[in-house]
Amino acid sequence: MNRRQFIQQAIALSAGLSFSIPEVFAAKARPDLAIVTGKNYLDVVGHSIELLGGMGQFVRPGDTVVIKPNIGWDRSPEQAANTHPLVVQGLIEMVLDSGASSVDLFDHTCNEKRRCYQNSGMADMVISFGSKKVRLEHIDKRKFIPVHIERGKSITSWEIYKQAITADVYINVPVAKHHGLSRLSLGLKNSMGAIGGNRGKLHHDLGQRLADLATVVSPTLTVVDATRTLLRNGPQGGNVDDVRLLDQVIASVDPVAADAYGTTLFGLAPEDIDSTVAAHKMGLGQMDLAKVNLLKKTL
Amino acid sequence: MKTPAKQRIMSKFNLLLVARLIAQTFSVLLFLFLFIKTDYTGSDTIEYAVNILFRIDPLLAFCAMLAARTVIALLAPALVIVIFSLLFGRFFCGWLCPMGGLLDLWRTIWRIKVDNKKTKYPQLPLVLLLFLVICSVFGVPLVGYVDPFSILVRGLVQAVYPAINFVSDSFFTYTYQSLPAAVNLVTEPVYSFMQATILPFEQRYYELTLVSGFILAFLFVGEFFQSRFFCRNICPLGALLGLFSRYGAMKVSGGDESCGTCEICRTNCRMGAVDENRHIHLSTCILCMDCMVKCPKQIIHPHLLHNSARHKLRPEVAEVSVSRRQFLACLSTGVALPPLLGVRNRGGAKGGSLIRPPGALIEPAFLARCVRCGECLQVCITNGLQPAFFQAGLESVFSPYLLARSGYCEFNCTLCGQVCPTGAIQPLNLQQKHTTKIGHAFFDKNLCLPFAGGVPCIVCEEHCPTPDKAIKFNVVEVKTPRGDRVTLKQPYIVDELCIGCGICETKCPLPGRSAIYVTNTGEVRDPENQLPGADFDSYSGYS
Repeated sequence: MNRRQFIQQAIALSAGLSFSIPEVFAAKARPDLAIVTGKNYLDVVGHSIELLGGMGQFVRPGDTVVIKPNIGWDRSPEQAANTHPLVVQGLIEMVLDSGASSVDLFDHTCNEKRRCYQNSGMADMVISFGSKKVRLEHIDKRKFIPVHIERGKSITSWEIYKQAITADVYINVPVAKHHGLSRLSLGLKNSMGAIGGNRGKLHHDLGQRLADLATVVSPTLTVVDATRTLLRNGPQGGNVDDVRLLDQVIASVDPVAADAYGTTLFGLAPEDIDSTVAAHKMGLGQMDLAKVNLLKKTL
Repeated sequence: MKTPAKQRIMSKFNLLLVARLIAQTFSVLLFLFLFIKTDYTGSDTIEYAVNILFRIDPLLAFCAMLAARTVIALLAPALVIVIFSLLFGRFFCGWLCPMGGLLDLWRTIWRIKVDNKKTKYPQLPLVLLLFLVICSVFGVPLVGYVDPFSILVRGLVQAVYPAINFVSDSFFTYTYQSLPAAVNLVTEPVYSFMQATILPFEQRYYELTLVSGFILAFLFVGEFFQSRFFCRNICPLGALLGLFSRYGAMKVSGGDESCGTCEICRTNCRMGAVDENRHIHLSTCILCMDCMVKCPKQIIHPHLLHNSARHKLRPEVAEVSVSRRQFLACLSTGVALPPLLGVRNRGGAKGGSLIRPPGALIEPAFLARCVRCGECLQVCITNGLQPAFFQAGLESVFSPYLLARSGYCEFNCTLCGQVCPTGAIQPLNLQQKHTTKIGHAFFDKNLCLPFAGGVPCIVCEEHCPTPDKAIKFNVVEVKTPRGDRVTLKQPYIVDELCIGCGICETKCPLPGRSAIYVTNTGEVRDPENQLPGADFDSYSGYS
């Protein structure tokens, strides 16, 4: 309760601030990337959104919201293959506080659906809200809609999950981790959990295809969970020795910048990740971190 | 029917009749409940004794132990039924058997009226029983093919349950995608409720849907020829319980000469257990109470053996028995089968070439114990376990194997070993499961894209579940078929790490045939089937 009150107050405060400062300055003040480090993950994610101006900037009362974590694997939170449930919980709380009418969570899992939702800790976390507004839904194959990808260079259409397109607000919450083919799995890769079809086929030209996909599955907000990062044997890991604790969350309205920064956490450069490069070329965001307005905070 | 029969008879057995109906209803409902609960429900352990039906079956217990030549402690509950049968005859068939209950219900629904006086093949169940026992003695496990519970659950798992889901799935897909939102306000909650209660979590597909479905359907069609057609003419479990009953403590006194032409007991008996003389055959009678309730003179009643003196010694009832000829036929078939089965050419795979579930005993012991109940198929969360047909021979039909293109062995799942009623699949803890090698993956480089087409892929590597991945890759520069030079990742398998779970084969994105496939090579249960050069510690986790 304390923490929630804190966030509410902070939101009120920032709202007051943005009223008092002239519009131009307020727009400048908002960073492209908010990077917050700390041990209390609920607070960390709370502050990261706070630095971007608060959830009220993105969610209007009555909005339908999708929060798309990575819940792809039958792994526990400490194994770092899935988004940490606390990071997601923090987001749900803020979204509800902003007056969202519904919050849908889902992932098109790789392991068995129920096992993933259960052992990732996501199912219990969502149940703890006890709210009909918050739904963790198993992928329902009736809800895939063929979508034409107009700007696609490598794919021109794909089946996309209904809520991923229809929601007013789409919050992408990837976990930052190693991946064999793409080297890292970040925000753009996480969108694969919002599509249907023979997903393995994306691998045949993964970087460009993820960028193509990002033209139609475009998050309002990307929140990269780097509280723990999986360094090897990704994307599903399984060995806690492969996990490094960073206690960090990166929030951004620019999906490419979020991925670009996430890459640096692994000692790699943004241009090492094909999807980042492809998306940057398509004008979906900024990968040059020198041109990005970073705001860091340690709790 | 004559008027006296129409009159309501105040019988002291009325209460027992009601009790029987309640018991039957309860056992059918309990059975269906446990059937639906044979599934992952968020816990790594199955919380209900879902396999109890198979563990109280004395026929399965007897034959499985004979065939496996060992005492199977899991099947100890069968003793309860044996003892009850010695005391109360075939009450199990009339009161508790869910197959019998469903058949009775079926007859009631269709109001089937047929001549039930004479059983068509009264000796067949006993002959079948003898045959199964002899085959078990010679190590040929066939009991699961005709056991009523195996037939029932197999049919439900592979045909009825998936078909029900298929129908509701199609219907609610139609309402969702084609009807206006107002309709969906009604249909979607109904669908959600059904999914939460009776429907399976996901659509399942089985290779032997038609075979298992038709066998089960045959039992129900039989009711149109004769009531309890299967129970009278085929069921070897009934025959076994009939033997206990025949030599057990309880007898049922039937009618006598004083009954005149009244045959109410005989025409009403669903089992054909009453003969022309209105004597009741204990090896057939299932104590349904119909005749006791309906007898105008109220002279039919059960009593204990030691009381029989009081009832005057009746002419001995001629119970069904097996002729010498039938016995010899069973014996010679039982003797001939093992050598005939033994000399079949198996293409060099002595222990069979099917991938068995993790924890499965070595092939002969596995088949001896497997009662083909389909519990493991039902609980397998990926739909990977399939019933074999004749791939591994006559004695292997309906036994489970992993068809990895259809589903894989989930890394953290141990449910099949938990539901196996006979220990054919031993229960494994998670640690054992993680290291239990059930097979091995191989690449078909003529199909695999990074090798054959110069196209990046390694979806297999992505899904490989061992914490230190069994599929790794080399970064190589290759010439594509079109002549371009590209740098890409080519996968390979680390023999010591691969456990044969098959997720690579399931997820391989090639349409049709997978470019990576698992075989049972290297399976931990069979020391003869090891990978060349592999030096695994022998596994001692099995009892």
